[in-house]
Amino acid sequence: MKRFYLIGFGALLGFDTLAQICFKFAGMHALPLQANLTWLLRLFSEPWVYGAIAGYIGAFFTWMSLLKHAPIGPAFAASHLEVVSGLLLSVPIFGEHISLAQGAGAVLIVAGIVCLARSESDADTPPAAA
Amino acid sequence: MSPTVFALWMLTVVLDTGGQLAFKAAASHPEAGDGLARWKHMLARPWIWLGGACYVFEFLAWIAFLSLVPLGRGLLLGSINIVVIMLAGRVLFRERLTPMRVTGILLVTAGVALVGIA
Repeated sequence: MKRFYLIGFGALLGFDTLAQICFKFAGMHALPLQANLTWLLRLFSEPWVYGAIAGYIGAFFTWMSLLKHAPIGPAFAASHLEVVSGLLLSVPIFGEHISLAQGAGAVLIVAGIVCLARSESDADTPPAAA
Repeated sequence: MSPTVFALWMLTVVLDTGGQLAFKAAASHPEAGDGLARWKHMLARPWIWLGGACYVFEFLAWIAFLSLVPLGRGLLLGSINIVVIMLAGRVLFRERLTPMRVTGILLVTAGVALVGIA
């Protein structure tokens, strides 16, 4: 059962990360940013936006099947950790630089997500066991 | 942060929170019934459609936002959604804010503020 969770959480993180990387590529290829139809056509004529949609669909179904079995707390945390994977992958893929403030900010955010996940796991008479 | 980037960031936060709250309102109607009847009930009401519309526009706003900021920075700033949705849940659905949740909210907010100011 442990392995099921591990694969499930990994798949969720993978799909979310894939979606975010595709979002970034989609935006880059549709530049310059304009609030008009031309921008939309440029966006949807590149493959990246469809990769982002595929990532979202994969994440949605993984999330739904995880929630049937996995506790909500760890699932909640796993569904937000693409912040870290995206931040790390942005260095090799987009040549981004992680500043000290960003590293420290990421640590604080992850610590916060862990707290929120634990507060869900504690099952403090939740209004609905979603 | 340029005014355009800031406006797009806020737009994604408003649309994400609006979408989540609309879906919550759609799903938690007490007289909705079960199974197919529940879905019929939800589709006949505006909430699920409002939520869907929010998500479509958020999708576009998020791409626009990411096209102007580095991915790492964008993802870190986007984490503020967690906080705003939790606070909105507290105000609108009277969800409980336990000490652990308050700690989590403060930590995420501090992290986003650090990234945003720097």
